[in-house]
Amino acid sequence: MKRFASIFFVACLSVSHLFSQSLFESALDSVSTDNGEGTSPISMNGYTRGSVFGGGKTYDLATTFAEFALQTNLTKGKTLLNSDIRFRTGVFFNQNEQHVQFKELYAGYSDDIFSVMLGNQIVSWGRTDGFNPTNNITPNDYFFLTADPDDQKLSNFMLRSKIRASQFIDIELIGIPFYIPSNYRYDLFDMGPNVTFGPGVYPEKKLKNGALAGRVNFDLPQIGWSLSYFNGYDPYHGFDVQDVDFSTGNPILTNVAAAYRKQTIGADFAIPIQNFIIRGEMAYNITDNPDNKMYIPASDFSYVGGLETNFSGFTIIAQYIGKAVSDFKELTVPVLADPTNPMAQMEYAGQMIDYENRLFNRKIFNQQEKTNHAASLTLTKSFGYDAWNAELTAFHNFTSKESLIRPKLTWKINDSLATAIGGNYMKGEDKTMFGYASKIMNGAFLELKATF
Amino acid sequence: MKSKKIFATILLVALFTGNLFAQSANEINKKSMDAIEVGNMEMISTINIRDARGNNRVRKITTASKQFGNVTKMIIRFISPADVKGTALLVHDYEKKSDDMWIYMPALRKVRRIVSSEKSKNFMGSEFTNGDMSKPNLDNYNSTILGSVNYGGRNCWKIQSVGKTSAIQAEDGFSKRISYIEKSTYLCHKVEYYDLRGRLHRTQTISDYRRLKNGKYFAYKMVMENNKNGRKSEMIINNFQLGSNLSESAFAPAALNK
Repeated sequence: MKRFASIFFVACLSVSHLFSQSLFESALDSVSTDNGEGTSPISMNGYTRGSVFGGGKTYDLATTFAEFALQTNLTKGKTLLNSDIRFRTGVFFNQNEQHVQFKELYAGYSDDIFSVMLGNQIVSWGRTDGFNPTNNITPNDYFFLTADPDDQKLSNFMLRSKIRASQFIDIELIGIPFYIPSNYRYDLFDMGPNVTFGPGVYPEKKLKNGALAGRVNFDLPQIGWSLSYFNGYDPYHGFDVQDVDFSTGNPILTNVAAAYRKQTIGADFAIPIQNFIIRGEMAYNITDNPDNKMYIPASDFSYVGGLETNFSGFTIIAQYIGKAVSDFKELTVPVLADPTNPMAQMEYAGQMIDYENRLFNRKIFNQQEKTNHAASLTLTKSFGYDAWNAELTAFHNFTSKESLIRPKLTWKINDSLATAIGGNYMKGEDKTMFGYASKIMNGAFLELKATF
Repeated sequence: MKSKKIFATILLVALFTGNLFAQSANEINKKSMDAIEVGNMEMISTINIRDARGNNRVRKITTASKQFGNVTKMIIRFISPADVKGTALLVHDYEKKSDDMWIYMPALRKVRRIVSSEKSKNFMGSEFTNGDMSKPNLDNYNSTILGSVNYGGRNCWKIQSVGKTSAIQAEDGFSKRISYIEKSTYLCHKVEYYDLRGRLHRTQTISDYRRLKNGKYFAYKMVMENNKNGRKSEMIINNFQLGSNLSESAFAPAALNK
C-alpha cells in the first residue's frame, strides 16, 4: 500500500511537471540550440555598436566609443537569472576610458502570483512619457550621450518583490540598501573661473540610509492606475558649497554633489477613450530642511498630464509638465550696503555666493517659481514596413524659457544590423541649465549596431 | 396522379434549390469563420518576409489565445530577431467594441497601454496587417455572392465584402475583399484585398488546413502577396496546440513583463 502510494505520488509529480508548462511558456523558456538538437534553458543575446556624439561648442566629438553587450537569460522552472553586462572603450569628453558596466545582474524566483529578485535592477515607474515624478528609484547618467535614452539608466542593488493579488492588481515592494546618485557632470560646464566641483558628499553606506518603496498597480480594461510611496535619498541630488577660497582675492568656490532624503507619495493613470489615451502622473515630494540647506529642495507637487493618439500613421504624444512649490520663498538679491567697508564687502560676497548657489539648485530642481510650467511633444512614425522609424521630441519650459528639440531616424538595415542618426539642440538664456548644457550636449549622433 | 407526382417533384426541387440559394453571403462568411479555430489555442509561428529584390527577414513569435466570456484574450510574444526579443503584445478582443491593447518592451521595462485603432498598419513589418490577425466584425460589411468558381480544384463561392462606411474602409485599409470559400467545408482558400481606390492591393492564399480534435480546422500556412510592390510574407505554424492551459491571469497586463 505504501509502495503504491509512493508510486502514485511520483507519477503525480511527473505528470504535473509535464503539464505545468504550456506550448506558449515553453517557447519562452527555451531556445533552440544552433545544431537544432534539443533546447537550452539559457539564452544569450547581445550587440556590438559604435557610437559617436559630436558637433558641440566645447568638444568636436564629445563621446566616441565602441561597446559589446552580453545579455544572458536563464529560466529554469521558476528560477530566473538575468544579466546585461557591457564592455565599453572610448573617449568621453576628451578622456580615454574603459568601462565594464553591470547594466543589470539579478537572480530570483517567479511564479504566477509571487516573484522575488535580488541584485542590480532597473525600475521604471510611471505611466507618462519621459517625465515621471513617481520614478525615484533608478538613477541616470545624463551625460552618457547615445541614440537610446535607455542607455542612461543605471541599476542599483535591491530586493524587489511582486505579489499579484488578482489578475488586475499587483503589489510591488522594493528595498535598496545603498544609495547611488544620478550622474550629471556639471564639472564640464563653463561656469566661470570661480566655480570648481569636488567629489560628491553622499550618505554613508549604512542600512539606515537605504530606501524603501512600494507600489500598488491596477490594470483594468477601462483604466490603469497606481499608488506609490518612496522613502529614501533622491538619486536626483543637489549641490552644496563645500569651500570658498578667498586667498587669490577673488572667491573660488568648490561645489559638491549633496544628496537629500525625501518621501514621495505618487499616483498615475492611463485612460483609453476611443482613439486617445489620457495619461497622468503626480507626486507629492516631502522634504525636511530645518537648517535651510541649499541642496535640499522645498516640498513640492509635481504633475504631468498627457494625451496620446494615432493619426495618419503618426503616434502623437503631447504632455504638460508642472510643479507647484508648496512653501516657496522668493530669493532676495543681496545688496552691498557700504562699498567702502571691507567687512561689508566680505559679507556681501558671502551672501552673493549663497544667493547664486541657491538659485543654481532651484534651477536643478525646477523650483524657480511657485508654479513652474513646461510642455513636450513627441511624434513618431514607422515606415518602409517598420524598417525605418522617425522620431521627433520637442520640449519647452515656459518658466525658465528653455527649449530642446531632438530628432532621430533609425534604419533597420537587416534583422541584425541597424543604424541611428539624430541630434540634440538645447537653447536657454545665460545661466540656465540648458544654457550651460547646450555647449556640450548640442550636436549630432550616429550609431551602428549589430545584434545577435 | 401523374400530375400530382410531377408537382411533388417540382416542389422538392424548388425547396432544395431554394435552400441552396437561401444561404446568404453573410451566413457563408459566418460559417467560414466558425469552421476555423482562433479562440482557444497556443502556437509558435515564423513569418518570412521577402521583398521584391529577394531580401529575406524572419520573425518568430509565440501566441496564446483563450476565450473568457465574450472576450477573446491573446498574447503575442516575440522570440526573434534579437532586437525585439521579449516584446509582448496583449489584446483583449471584444465582439462589439474596440480592442484593449497593451505592449511590453524590454527597453522601457514597463507595460504600456496603447491605442488600438490602427488595423491597417502592417504586422511586424510584413504584408499582413494588424486587422488580419483578428476576427473581422461581419456587421461592418455588405456581403454578396459574386458566383461560383473552381479554385485549385475546389468548388468555391466567390464572396465580396464591402466596408459599409468610408470610415470602416479607411480603418481596415481596404475598400473590399473577395474571398474564395470552399462549398463543402466552408474553408477560405484565397482572399483578395482591394485598396481604397478599388485596385487589387494584396492577395492572401491559405493552405495546409489541418483538422483539429474539436472538428474545426486550422491553417498552417498563409501567404500574403503585395500585388503592387511584389513583396511577399509567409506565415508558417511551427507548432500548434488546441486549447490553452494558461489561466486568465496569464492574459493580464501585469503578466506581460514576466
